[in-house]
Amino acid sequence: MMTPRSRSYRETTSAGTGDRDVVHFRPRRKRLPPRRGMLTLNLAPMIDVTFLLLIFFLITTTFDLPEGVLASKLPRDTGVSVPLPLSPIVIRVDPAGPEFADYTMRLDNASQVPADFNELASMLEEIQNRPGFDDETPVVIMAGGGVRWDHVVNCWNAAVRVKYKNIMFGEG
Amino acid sequence: MRYMPGSGREYRSSPLSFNATPMIDVIFLLTVFFMLVSRFASAESVKMLLPEPDSSEAKTVKLPERIVINCRPAVPGSPAAGALYSIGPNPPESLAMISQRLAALQADRPDLKVIVRADRRLRYADVRAVMREVARSGLEMIHVAAHTARGE
Repeated sequence: MMTPRSRSYRETTSAGTGDRDVVHFRPRRKRLPPRRGMLTLNLAPMIDVTFLLLIFFLITTTFDLPEGVLASKLPRDTGVSVPLPLSPIVIRVDPAGPEFADYTMRLDNASQVPADFNELASMLEEIQNRPGFDDETPVVIMAGGGVRWDHVVNCWNAAVRVKYKNIMFGEG
Repeated sequence: MRYMPGSGREYRSSPLSFNATPMIDVIFLLTVFFMLVSRFASAESVKMLLPEPDSSEAKTVKLPERIVINCRPAVPGSPAAGALYSIGPNPPESLAMISQRLAALQADRPDLKVIVRADRRLRYADVRAVMREVARSGLEMIHVAAHTARGE
């Protein structure tokens, strides 16, 4: 005889005309619906919104380089020009090459010609350590009109890197 | 019904179910990542190639009273063809008009700071023209936009 817990079980009865096997059928147990008042978390709307957010950020995100600023003082257009108190360091940049993509650069205060902007920064640092020069010494960038703006900013940046405080532009 | 080798018997497999938990974890992580790294482009910044100096000393500063002058090539791909100037997201204007507007703004807001965003391919003469106008309007300081050093 099968146990009453199984899907069907057999039972022997002796009532009436004699022994008889009765097979009781027990239907398969169905999953009960959640009880009324039972808390359930429906995740579908949350996943929908999260997907939408993800797609939005995937589409709109652009990985740009962060930008900052280099500050400088501008000369006043009005008033009387006064001579500089110190002999300035003059960086001369001129255009060269096809479509002025290249440049030539020299320092008035040095016999050597800087090969690139890193070398320019080193030379400016060396001049700063000379007697009569310090970080207050004016640095004048004399750039030709055809020089690419990138090269001018690089000269400016080289002077800022070695902590010069008075950097200005002159007419090349 | 599925046969499990080695078990010696067949058994009724459970119905297929989709475990969404790892997927939700990954999607949440991706969403949080993109939310953190996204920086919405400022409306006053026109898309251009900014100067990218070696070991850049450019600093990200917050200037509350500021005006941005954008200078970009008039003909894309041909920087020698001159520049277009605009204040913030406004349409391009002549330098004389920009100078007038600068002077008016400077009279209202004495602490005004000017940021010049110029395309790195432009000629210095085109940017110098703006700097002259800024100086003429009575402003003392100028800030030149450039890319900051990588990793800052």
